[in-house]
Amino acid sequence: MKKEKKGLLASEGIRSVIASLICILGGLVVGFVVLVLLAAFNENISFSEAFTGILTVLGGPFSAGSPHDVLFQFGNMLFQATPLIMTGLSVALAFKTGLFNIGAPGQYLMGAMGALIVSLSIPTTVVPAVVVWILALLAGILLGVLWGAIPGFFKAKFNVNEVIVCIMTNWIAANVVSWVFSALDKASNGFFINHAETKVNFIRKTATNGVATWSFGLNELFGGSYLDIGILIASLIAVALYIVMNKTTFGYELRACGFNKNASKYAGMNEKRNIILSMAIAGGLAACGAALWCLNGAQDFKWETYLTLPADGFNGIPAALLASNNPIGVIFAAIFLKYLGAGGSNLAAYTSFNEYVSPLIIAVIIYFAGASKLIKDLLGKRSRKDFVKIPDKPIVTPPEDPPAEPEPEEGPPADEPAEKTEGGEEK
Amino acid sequence: MSDRIKYNEPYAIEMRHITKVFPGIVANDDITLQLRRGEIHALLGENGAGKSTLMSVLFGLYQPEKGEIYKDGKKVEINDPNDANDLGIGMVHQHFKLVDVFTVLDNIILGTEPSTLGFLRKKEARKKVMELSENYGLNVDPDALVEDITVGMQQRTEILKMLYRDNEILIFDEPTAVLTPQEITELMGIIRGLAEEGKSILFISHKLNEIMEIADRCTVLRKGKYVGTVDIANTTKEELSAMMVGRDVKFAVDKKPADPGKTVLEIEHLSVRSRLHKKLAVRDVSLTVRAGEIVCIAGIDGNGQSEFVGALSGLEKCEPGSRIVLNGEDVTKKSIRYKNTHGVSHIPEDRHKHGLVLDYTLEQNLVLQRYFEPRFQHGGFIKFNEVREYSEGLIEKYDVRSGQGPITPARGMSGGNQQKAIIARELDRDHDLLIAVQPTRGLDVGAIEYIHEQIVASRDAGRAVLLISLELEEVMNLSDRILVMYEGEIVGEFDPKETTVQELGLYMAGARRQNGGEGGGEK
Repeated sequence: MKKEKKGLLASEGIRSVIASLICILGGLVVGFVVLVLLAAFNENISFSEAFTGILTVLGGPFSAGSPHDVLFQFGNMLFQATPLIMTGLSVALAFKTGLFNIGAPGQYLMGAMGALIVSLSIPTTVVPAVVVWILALLAGILLGVLWGAIPGFFKAKFNVNEVIVCIMTNWIAANVVSWVFSALDKASNGFFINHAETKVNFIRKTATNGVATWSFGLNELFGGSYLDIGILIASLIAVALYIVMNKTTFGYELRACGFNKNASKYAGMNEKRNIILSMAIAGGLAACGAALWCLNGAQDFKWETYLTLPADGFNGIPAALLASNNPIGVIFAAIFLKYLGAGGSNLAAYTSFNEYVSPLIIAVIIYFAGASKLIKDLLGKRSRKDFVKIPDKPIVTPPEDPPAEPEPEEGPPADEPAEKTEGGEEK
Repeated sequence: MSDRIKYNEPYAIEMRHITKVFPGIVANDDITLQLRRGEIHALLGENGAGKSTLMSVLFGLYQPEKGEIYKDGKKVEINDPNDANDLGIGMVHQHFKLVDVFTVLDNIILGTEPSTLGFLRKKEARKKVMELSENYGLNVDPDALVEDITVGMQQRTEILKMLYRDNEILIFDEPTAVLTPQEITELMGIIRGLAEEGKSILFISHKLNEIMEIADRCTVLRKGKYVGTVDIANTTKEELSAMMVGRDVKFAVDKKPADPGKTVLEIEHLSVRSRLHKKLAVRDVSLTVRAGEIVCIAGIDGNGQSEFVGALSGLEKCEPGSRIVLNGEDVTKKSIRYKNTHGVSHIPEDRHKHGLVLDYTLEQNLVLQRYFEPRFQHGGFIKFNEVREYSEGLIEKYDVRSGQGPITPARGMSGGNQQKAIIARELDRDHDLLIAVQPTRGLDVGAIEYIHEQIVASRDAGRAVLLISLELEEVMNLSDRILVMYEGEIVGEFDPKETTVQELGLYMAGARRQNGGEGGGEK
């Protein structure tokens, strides 16, 4: 079974990476065209700026003015990627089980709510901050697990499409969160909401209760950014998820259910339980991302969420797609999306283009990401053709001899050749 | 030879030196096929021999790496099925490509509807279809919905579809696999009629009897290679099978008389509701299967066999009052996993739907019901080395062929080898009861012989075997006891030594039943 000369494209993994790179390149080219068009129709913008513009986007945080700013932006990019990694993992896990978790925004909100309430209401003067931090994280995850399990339950028990239930739970979450915070705030005489002049829309920062994720100097290393060890936690979870999906019986079951529900059932797997579990874990992952973001300590969480859903929840979908649902890949996909985001801010800050252009370019790249499977398949075709140029001797032949007959003595040996010659004569 | 075959004209279709390579396997290696006008040409080969690939090349679904196709002596390029259609090549696929909720007429004209300004001119279409149907003796009801008509009529609809498009070259991909004996006879007549009218016919099959009966010539493929083309008049069934398999094949199954032991499976008053129409698909079935015997349930497709097996394996719910007893234990309400681990092996009817996770590799599929056993996992982590070793053992023992061994995606394997993989998996598990549902469907004689041997070996090892089959030959050859199922009921029990195919056929068609008198009053 040896394959001589495997082309570079023969490996599935390499094809994925190349396909992703092609997507990104395609997105940038289209983005460049957009910038050129804008320059053409706006006399205040010169053509050369289209060029510097696309380079600015491409440069991400490195397009910032000074070395200090570069460090600062880089640190914040990593910090902001943390929740996106988690929602990306959430979507990827569900995809692997054959489910579309578009409920990540709702799960994210529930996670934020759980983490904030616990981290603010247990005074660190009584309980050590570490314990509060851990309890807050767990509370967030727990709420997310429950929230994710709802669409899973409906899918498993009543075969209701999970997309519908997910979208419902998203908006229910958005309203529940606003309602709970306003009620809690009233009950506690304004303890939860930051009532400083311009901050009435935001929950108090958890740092005011002494709860903040440790940064071990990472924030100062990166120019006073928000960076903390959340990104490491998220990356570790991604690695753990990769191991669970690919090396354990649980992952084997989940993926089997995703690929073929009927065969999983036939094989005795409890496919209903697996659907609920998969959605519950997906919910927990998205919620964990929200908790890690809130527990940073210095972040403003807008509690009036009933009109909007968090973008990081939805952006988990492109992050997962860009990574072809590979948990390790999700880390890089999420960082990459935030990298482009940083480039987009710099585009608005340092060139004549306004801030609306950068999301457009990012969106184009995401569109291309949607086509990554197509590109991967095309690459696969190419490699097959390359692969075929040496077929003079068959690459693999099935075993030449038929397997030895189990009963060597039994058959009447005299008859067989006789029959053969008979046939030959007739010819 | 009759004069319908045009020996002096250029070949209707000539495929010269076709080579098609897939990763890890040469599916067609320098294959030449010459089809004369008016000829019925059989294409014979085992599963994975390259028949389907060759037809896909002819139909424009695959592009060959080497080789040319000539039509009436002129070289042609076939890049997609539309090209094939333009050249007058039509195909009846093994699994029909019909829209279930459309009428027969709508299905026939689908894709080439005659219309004026976007409005269908159905009258015209109907006239043409009715003419064709009359000329070729293809009896169909143009206004019936496809989902309501028999498989045989669906097939005739497919044939009319080709004729409606004025196709000259008609490919039949294993057309008899889904038909009853009576329908097969009818189809043979139709095919002969088509050839008389000057159509050229490619008949893909691995049923030697049919080829001997109908074909003029036969091209044999083996393991992707061209073996030869023979005149049917000058050959024998034995010679053909030797060409196809590369060795001599036994047609009759060698088996000792059964020596039934203790009762393994006891079914009492089993009734099952159909998911489709919510009526009872299985009605009050009671039977027993003892260790060391092969009990076969014969019947025409759709008489409740699928629901019966579903209830038995746990995939379907049974009605209250039903009782399934395995080794003396009531397992009616037990989970599928419980049954799997307590002595039930099940070769499912639909290998793609139930038998395999097609996106998993071969080795992953081979441990589909065992991955949780301590042998294959430790603390929830799969022991990959153990899985590899185990599957390599099974692959060798059961001769499962594939491009890349254990890591071949199941999707990329030929149908026969997929089935072999399932059989390997099911027979290797500890079992007291083997439920085999159409275990040889779509397989070639070599594989059938092998699977029959394995089933008999399982019986001789003291297992109880419940075989559900639509193939009467298989039923007669293999079973120790035959039960006929008609409309969800067991209508007769037979000893294969004392009954005939004709007698079984009458019971299968509902014309007769035991202990209930004549079946004329049935609805």
